Amino acid sequence: MRISTAGLHNLALQGITDRDADLAKTQSQIATGKRIQSPADDPAAATQAVQLDRSLSESQQFGRNADVATNNLSLEEQALADSNDLLTSIRDLAVQANSGALDPGSRQAIATQLQAQLQQLVDLANRKNGNNEYLFSGFATAAQPFIQSAAGVSYVGDQNVRQLQTSQTQHVSVSDSGYSVFVNIDSGNGTFVTAANPANTGSGTIDAGSVTDPTAWVPGTYRLQFTSGTAYQVLDSTNAVVSSGTYTPGNSISFRGIAVNVGGQPATGDEFTVSPSSSQDVFTTVKQLIATVGSSTVTDAQRAQYSTRIAASLQQLDTSLDHVNAVRSSVGARLSTLDQTQSTRQDNEVTLQTSLSGLRDLDIAKAVTQLNLQQVGLQAAQASYARIAQLSLFNYLG
Amino acid sequence: MADLLSTAVSGLQAFQRALDTTSQNIANVATEGYSRQRTEITTRPPQPFGNGWVGSGAQVDTITRLYDNLLAAQVQSTNSSFGSADTLATQAARVNNIFADTNTGLSASLQNFTNALQDVANNPSSIPSRQALLSQAQVLNDRFKSYDTQLQQIGSDVEAQIGSEATQINTLGSSIAQLNKQIAAGFAQTGQPPNDLLDQRDKLLDQLSQHIDISLSRQGDGQVNVFVGSGQALVLAGTAAQVTTIADPYNVARHNIGLKSGSATVDITANTTGGTLGGLLDFRGKLLDSARDTLGQLSAGLVEAVNTQHQAGMDLNGALGGALFSIGGVQVQASSSNAGSGAAAVTRTSAGALTGENYILRKTATGWDLRNADTGVAVTLAGAGTVASPFTADGLSIVVSGTASTGDNFLILPTRAAVAGLSVAISDPTKVAAAAPIRTAANPANTGSATISQGSVLDATNPALRSPVTIQFLTASTYSINGAGSFAYTAGGPITANGWQVQIDGTPAVGDQFTVSDNSGGAGDNRNALALASALSQPVLNGGTTSVNDAASQFYGSIGIQTQQAQATRDAQKVVNQDAVSARDSVSGVNLDEEAANMLRYQQAYQAAAQVIRVASTLFDTLISVASRA
Repeated sequence: MRISTAGLHNLALQGITDRDADLAKTQSQIATGKRIQSPADDPAAATQAVQLDRSLSESQQFGRNADVATNNLSLEEQALADSNDLLTSIRDLAVQANSGALDPGSRQAIATQLQAQLQQLVDLANRKNGNNEYLFSGFATAAQPFIQSAAGVSYVGDQNVRQLQTSQTQHVSVSDSGYSVFVNIDSGNGTFVTAANPANTGSGTIDAGSVTDPTAWVPGTYRLQFTSGTAYQVLDSTNAVVSSGTYTPGNSISFRGIAVNVGGQPATGDEFTVSPSSSQDVFTTVKQLIATVGSSTVTDAQRAQYSTRIAASLQQLDTSLDHVNAVRSSVGARLSTLDQTQSTRQDNEVTLQTSLSGLRDLDIAKAVTQLNLQQVGLQAAQASYARIAQLSLFNYLG
Repeated sequence: MADLLSTAVSGLQAFQRALDTTSQNIANVATEGYSRQRTEITTRPPQPFGNGWVGSGAQVDTITRLYDNLLAAQVQSTNSSFGSADTLATQAARVNNIFADTNTGLSASLQNFTNALQDVANNPSSIPSRQALLSQAQVLNDRFKSYDTQLQQIGSDVEAQIGSEATQINTLGSSIAQLNKQIAAGFAQTGQPPNDLLDQRDKLLDQLSQHIDISLSRQGDGQVNVFVGSGQALVLAGTAAQVTTIADPYNVARHNIGLKSGSATVDITANTTGGTLGGLLDFRGKLLDSARDTLGQLSAGLVEAVNTQHQAGMDLNGALGGALFSIGGVQVQASSSNAGSGAAAVTRTSAGALTGENYILRKTATGWDLRNADTGVAVTLAGAGTVASPFTADGLSIVVSGTASTGDNFLILPTRAAVAGLSVAISDPTKVAAAAPIRTAANPANTGSATISQGSVLDATNPALRSPVTIQFLTASTYSINGAGSFAYTAGGPITANGWQVQIDGTPAVGDQFTVSDNSGGAGDNRNALALASALSQPVLNGGTTSVNDAASQFYGSIGIQTQQAQATRDAQKVVNQDAVSARDSVSGVNLDEEAANMLRYQQAYQAAAQVIRVASTLFDTLISVASRA
């Protein structure tokens, strides 16, 4: 084909400028270390990279959330450990108070100690976290949850728990409400509560009882009434006789799938009640214990009452301890979940970073090789152009 | 002898002309648009003698321009294709570069906003974390607005360029018409083609084809007629029509292309393709407008998702949340040719139902008709178009008023102006609704084992939303609400009242009570902040299939894909264009080696002819001397 002289120059020049552009692009990639400089360079990879960026940022945020959760749960765990210690020492005092050999002065001393420990327990339940929020107040974190009055300690917080998001699918409760830790504790043995009628004149005592056949239990209030020193009957709320029998001290009395132990010698007309378990807060439990310890034990009947009540308090303190420790172990479980999630998250972040780097970052060695190749190409184009441009028939005329 | 001399002289003259032409070719080796010329030498008519016909030398017939109309037409056509592809690629790259920085991009800003919401959830009563959230909301808002402003800026640059293109096309058109006249005159004067004028004119045609796609018809006298659009004449022999920018009927700031011939102006926008002008129109219609619409759709989805959730929450002052963002409304542009006094008020009803398309609402003889503005496909209108019963279609609610005349048109741009009106609606950090407005509780005296969920808000506008409600179990399987009714209980099933929903699970005992009440004082509640943090990952757009986050990365990808395609087309068209130019130049271009050879050839021939004259002279001298001796 005929080639025009101007066309020859233009073509050569075009080739050189194209190579210049390629070289500039490779150079800019090397300078920034990025293979993708704008979405048009590789739309699919660029879009994927943006999504991975988002996942990475999200994962890092979940990490920060988990740190906040861990911090809050550690504070709660500490408060619960302290509660456990306090309740244990209260229980020790209750055991001491249960000894029949105590004189009234010693019991008064125990009552004073118990009063101080009740105060500590209330202070503990009103503990705050680093952000000046009450730990155990539910959502109402700005208001003090446990208020003391002459009538006792009342809970004014709510029953809710704040949750934080620690992964796309995982929400972790960062505390427990005062209601679920200190208030909503089963009373009695969890199914029913026993009590002695304060008007009893005999020395009969009743224990907390137990459930022998859960299917036979019909919730309701029952009266265990002694018709004589050796005979009893059980009446339900409509005064119908549910069960009756002969009383032998130390033998258990069973009806409707439950069994209670009555000891001592009840007098005719003495009554014990069995009512469905509901809940009793830990402060009421301690307050009742204090009241019991301070009560007088002059008559046999009073001693029997004292004994029954102390036994009930001990039972209630055990339940409270179990309850607090159950909450504590759930806090521990949450902390360990957070630990596991953290290691999963860190692995995931490494994977994300690797993928991102693969998508977006430049393979420097490859790029430098390419740069060299392009440089050689450009030099060759320039050299050949310089040679060819000199060729002309006119050089030989003259 | 006289013949010998005159034959030799004719050769001298012919070769001198040939050398002139070679010289002209060499002189114009670098002249753009120059076509090489050739001196056409033929023999002169022979003289009859008794013994035969004797030649009488050479003559120059004409000087031909080596120019192939077909190859030239290919150059012009590929000029147009390349011009349009190049413009599209250049403009697309501008849009692409706006979105290039991923560290400050839309996805990153959306995620930072979500992260700030998580920080509020971590510490809902903290004013600094709420303030940080509002700052991130502002950053997100600014990001959207900056993109929209830059796209608008590109839009006004494009409008200005369209105007300047029209001017350049007109200048070229009138120069071509002027040259047409001179060419016709040149032809008439000599009967020979005025090669250099033709070259100049054809160069202008090449230039014109870079601005707009043209078709030509050539006349016998060398004049050329130029047509644009769908066959409208831009140049007819010596007269040129005017390309003008005319205001779009729906938007005066938008330029359409008109061709003014005499007093009539025809709108040729739809038929204008190719060249820089075609590329600009292409870019505006396909890439720029849709980028702004998609950005608007994205912001509408964001604002709907965030505001709906925010309004279902409770702020630190105990009040229900307000809108977190404000957003621009639907743009309705009445056609300038509307005869009636009708108006249309359009609002978005659901971001998820938006299609990203624009519509034309048209008054017909019997009612109203809605069509897709690009495709013309009819869209079904439900409703009556009144305030009480607005037209509804594709996530829009349309109320028409006034008296429209049949044939009146309204252009509806559902999301074009959305970003322009975007702003953060609250500045007081306590007004961030991080909490839910209700809370639930179980009565501590309950003897059953049932538990109640934290509850969720279904309808924040219910006036009784925060009124206290007691759910009491009448039996283990029925319950009453605030002492009324007897509803069957299903463990874990939803219980709905007053715009909220709760679940009660487990085994309740008779008389057990659960309460749902106002969450006043719930400073530590973060439920709504958590719900907000997940709002951008919820599928809300495109009929509930795409989340705002996904839509943002899809938008980013689509800009990249369109730019990449435009660049690939440009590169391909460039090669095609270069090939066409090479093909034309192989015929029309000057080759210096060839000219050197020609020069040698003609020089030698000229010297030979001169030698013949000397021989003739010698012969004549010989004859004279013989005659004088005699």
